[in-house]
Amino acid sequence: MEIQTAEVANNPETEDTIESTKQNQPEEEVEHCYEQKQALEEEEEEDELRSMLLSDIGELPLSPPSATQVNFVSYFITDFTKPGHDQYIYRHANGLCVIGLAPTHVAFKDEGGITNIDFNVGKSDRSVLKVSGKRKKNAMRSESNTALCKVSTAKDSYIVRCCVKGSLLEVNERLINQPQLLNSSADREGYIAIIMPRPADWTKNKESLITLEEYKEKKELSL
Amino acid sequence: MSDETKPSAGDSSGLSNGLVSDSDRRVYQAAQSLHSSSVKDLLSLGVCERCVFRLVSVEPFDSDLSSVSASTLRSWLEEASAAAAASSESSCSRVCIVCLGVLQFVFSDAKQTLARSECGSDYAARVTELVKREGHEFDSFGLEVSVPSTVVENERAVLLYLKGKYETEGWVQSEKISVKDALKVLVLDPLKASLGAKSDSSSFHIRLTYSMTSDEVQDASETTHERKKRKTDEENGSTSMSENSFEKVYEPCILSVNCNKMPIFFSGRYFKYSRNVSQTRWIIDDERMGEASVEELIGGNILPACLGDSYKFHAAGREDIDVRMLGSGRPFLIEVQNSRKCPSQQSLMEIEEKINNSEKKLVGVKDLKFIGSQCWAMMREGEAEKQKQYAALVWIARPLEEKDINSISSLIELKILQKTPVRVLHRRSPLERERTIHWMKVEKIKGSSHYFLLHLCTQAGTYIKEFVHGDLGRTSPSMGSILGCRAEIIQLDVTDVKMGDS
Ligand SMILES: [Zn+2]
Repeated sequence: MEIQTAEVANNPETEDTIESTKQNQPEEEVEHCYEQKQALEEEEEEDELRSMLLSDIGELPLSPPSATQVNFVSYFITDFTKPGHDQYIYRHANGLCVIGLAPTHVAFKDEGGITNIDFNVGKSDRSVLKVSGKRKKNAMRSESNTALCKVSTAKDSYIVRCCVKGSLLEVNERLINQPQLLNSSADREGYIAIIMPRPADWTKNKESLITLEEYKEKKELSL
Repeated sequence: MSDETKPSAGDSSGLSNGLVSDSDRRVYQAAQSLHSSSVKDLLSLGVCERCVFRLVSVEPFDSDLSSVSASTLRSWLEEASAAAAASSESSCSRVCIVCLGVLQFVFSDAKQTLARSECGSDYAARVTELVKREGHEFDSFGLEVSVPSTVVENERAVLLYLKGKYETEGWVQSEKISVKDALKVLVLDPLKASLGAKSDSSSFHIRLTYSMTSDEVQDASETTHERKKRKTDEENGSTSMSENSFEKVYEPCILSVNCNKMPIFFSGRYFKYSRNVSQTRWIIDDERMGEASVEELIGGNILPACLGDSYKFHAAGREDIDVRMLGSGRPFLIEVQNSRKCPSQQSLMEIEEKINNSEKKLVGVKDLKFIGSQCWAMMREGEAEKQKQYAALVWIARPLEEKDINSISSLIELKILQKTPVRVLHRRSPLERERTIHWMKVEKIKGSSHYFLLHLCTQAGTYIKEFVHGDLGRTSPSMGSILGCRAEIIQLDVTDVKMGDS
């Protein structure tokens, strides 16, 4: 340090000019290099990302299992209170149950299928209840044979039941304007309701339900 | 000059000549100015010398009292108050009935060994030794003192006694410094010297906690009871504050020295390369979900470098366990509690390398840096505004056509309505939220017409899996409804997290 200041003091002007020319030249080069390097790095990063995205794609099945198949276990109840009243109960790993009409439900056999759905059954309109909060305030308590809705065909109408004891979290309001969803995709967009049972109630409830295999066997289906 | 010697314990002869320092002289003079009969009373009750100064003097409590030994103080007080020089030896070693030895620099350590210091610097040296054992690196500290409630109660009783007996005296009415504040006055300077550190309200705290031995606590509660009775007597006009009330003999308090460093924070971005690693430690019914967590893989490497007690992991948002975090990485903070040292940038880079070069490569880190003590709020703010970019592997029920690619990419700032997904509906409120898909791009996958890679940029809080498969029609529109066929999501990666408006 001391030596340097002494030198500068000897001939400050020349020292300065030398310094500035020395600095300017390489700086530009460095900057240029830096830009190049950055662009290169970005390119490399992008390539790396692409290869990571693609490398993870393994053998792709011709038709993968659906989200419903992956996330839910399927249960059924058949001839519930009346012959041909077959319903499905898809139970999510988190305990929630999606309720809907099984493909063998008698209503689908009527010509033109289901044309109307009415949630105004029993004491209250199921579609009016508004459940709120994490604690699911205002949820209607259901028993397995509680009426959930009524579906109508050109010929007849049928009461659909809750099948599960628990809290009725929501009904599928879309069905009110688009009842044909029941005919076209009863197991997806045509679901009817979501019910949250208590674990203990579910354990008991499950005994009255049958598995997918038992259902196929019983209905002699080859799904 | 050679005639001037420091006054030794109990030596009250030739005091005025023997005072070597200015501070000695000041304390000596202060002793002379005290109200003599109350000094005499208090000494005979078993109140220690420094408490006498504290309770009787009208002058501010002086740190000079720290450097004069208790026996010298006693001899000066006795001289000033014309008290009979009791055998100084025994009265000095008696534990003060008010401060329980705190201002006498007497305490038991954790192993019940009695420590007695002549002056503040001796005491400071003992405390320094205990502080050093904790192994903290610091150049400034804050001092905290806590004393047992008995000290406060005893003090109240003595003050009541003084007020009863000397109610006409002006000094009785003046504000008295508390035992814990008095200790701070006495030891702060000696501590600064022996620790070689400044004192301020810094992020590093030394806490001196005095507590009573367990059998004494019980006794103390009984005396509290008695005192309450006395207090009632006093209020009823009875001034029979008997000196017998203060006869209890106390054991010195147990002193524990604790050091605490305010949390320090490190920031960085993390990558998650595995679909079996959770963001935070995730245990359900004693069973670990996934093989590791980002939290533990990063925190577990930073904590030892800080020699801290524990750490917390904070991230800006999260991804599901089966979703990888690639591309830009996700911002996170690590908060380390009670760190002994702050790792250098160099050692942070080594930590980064260690994580990035680990054998399993489950997690990666970049931009790891120390950000100080109060930067936590910063990230919170940005969190609300972030955008996220994803790559989703999608399958559709019919072959993908060229026009699909165009129609998907033409959807800019697409508004969608999402009901709380079924998969989280058990623990979240049932709501319907509007979310924005800023843009989408389709990347075809060679050899497969049903599969494609969907790149999309969305508003934070959008549920991507549900946007693809539609969640029983509860998210609308969905990839399935847009293409008019069933759509399924096979896997998902986060490729960019944008904070704030960056
Ligand atoms: Zn005392």
